[in-house]
Amino acid sequence: MKRPPTSQPTTSSGATAREDGVFNRRHFLVGTATSAVLPLSFGTTGVREAVTDAALPTQVPSSSVALLVNGRTHRLILDNRTTLLDALREHLALTGTKKGCDHGQCGACTVHLDGEPILSCLTLVASVEGRAVTTIEGLAQADGALHPVQQAFIDHDAFQCGYCTPGQIMSAVACVEGDRAGSDAEIREYMSGNLCRCAAYPNIVAAIRAAKTEVRS
Amino acid sequence: MLGSRTPSGPEILPPRYARPRLLDEALALRHGGAQIIAGGTDFYPARVGRPLYDRDVPCVLDLTALAELRGIQDEAGCHRIGALTSWTEIAEAPLPAQFYCLQAVAREVGGRQIQNRGTIGGNLCNASPAADGVPALLALGAEIELLSRAGKRVLPLSEFIRGPRQIALRADEIASAVVIPKPKGAAHSSFVKLGARKYLVISIVMAAGYLDVVGSRIAEARIAVGACSPVAQRLPALEAALKGEVAISSLSRLVKPEHLAPLKPIDDVRASAEYREEAALTVVRRLLEELSA
Repeated sequence: MKRPPTSQPTTSSGATAREDGVFNRRHFLVGTATSAVLPLSFGTTGVREAVTDAALPTQVPSSSVALLVNGRTHRLILDNRTTLLDALREHLALTGTKKGCDHGQCGACTVHLDGEPILSCLTLVASVEGRAVTTIEGLAQADGALHPVQQAFIDHDAFQCGYCTPGQIMSAVACVEGDRAGSDAEIREYMSGNLCRCAAYPNIVAAIRAAKTEVRS
Repeated sequence: MLGSRTPSGPEILPPRYARPRLLDEALALRHGGAQIIAGGTDFYPARVGRPLYDRDVPCVLDLTALAELRGIQDEAGCHRIGALTSWTEIAEAPLPAQFYCLQAVAREVGGRQIQNRGTIGGNLCNASPAADGVPALLALGAEIELLSRAGKRVLPLSEFIRGPRQIALRADEIASAVVIPKPKGAAHSSFVKLGARKYLVISIVMAAGYLDVVGSRIAEARIAVGACSPVAQRLPALEAALKGEVAISSLSRLVKPEHLAPLKPIDDVRASAEYREEAALTVVRRLLEELSA
């Protein structure tokens, strides 16, 4: 597929990918992934099958979206088909939210919309205009202090490979803050939308139980 | 696919997107042929490997900003549930015992993230044979309200869902509400779901039951079974056997295999027809045990 030419890898939010002067693998990947969205974000990300033999149409119907993520507003011009997950990962370089199954079965892409957990892979970005999106990147405080649920996941070894962890933590935060962690059974029901391939479930429940005490005290 | 070039044809562009706040605007867009999206929880999974939007639609109409189609109203003679009401809102609403089956469904449709976005109207319009909402709403005697610029139509749910993925929604209509009649006496209901695990699972068999009890006897019974036929089915012979019975007796003894005659289970990835047939009998008996308690 032909991509619009770009001169320099950068993120679409304007931040440079090399603030610390070190060009590491993650920065390189982020840079190349987002370079395709310039100059007007005609990425392929809303499209569910590969465009192989043709340039993208020059007049793809697009929406201008003011996206409020982690307290910051981003104005993006996006193909109408773009999901919230792709907007976060490909256009805002917020890659903490993971793409697992990409059709609503695994919970890896869980983010908060006005404080409630939703699946960003099933959500059109245009539909969340004016609402507050919180991702895993938005949980820690400005000084780097982790959210009690994040700390509890570390303390209780609540993950192995870690791929599902951002989604698990977003659901867990809503579980604790929504006062839905009254018993292990209630925690399991609330967390049932998040699958863990490594089966860290007992430790996830233990982490949430501990975080509940922490959040209350 | 949309957004690509066919070898000889012109480029086909994806449609524009609209998320109106006013019902009149939504009805006008629908009149113009717009394709509807609500919670979106079935929209994407049904289109993996396919174009995201149907061909030839001028506009995708996102209903989620229509506040007047959301929420539950207690009205004279009925409860009205807006089509955009989410499963979480239904599960957490203070509703009478009549609605227990629907609230149990609301807690078992997908996980919490799906319950936050998935809508009752979408569950019905998606018309999956395994839709948990359908047997519960059949048991509750629900009707569905359909709006268009031409006015309002009301259909019993059993007439609205015509087959797997087939509904009686006209191309210019929007499903606006589910209307549930109030009982004559004291009603309660229940829902039993059999899946391969406890949560986050598509049903193998599910059953919902509703009893309207006047005095000590059952004045009206409605029992519906899902995932065992192209569309969830009520069991009229069992309902007739229940009518007039003392409500607190052990009702499961009344269930006979021939009561399940309306069901036509098939083999699929989740279970064989034979297993479903046997499971349906057990699930209906458990349902009636719950309703007797």
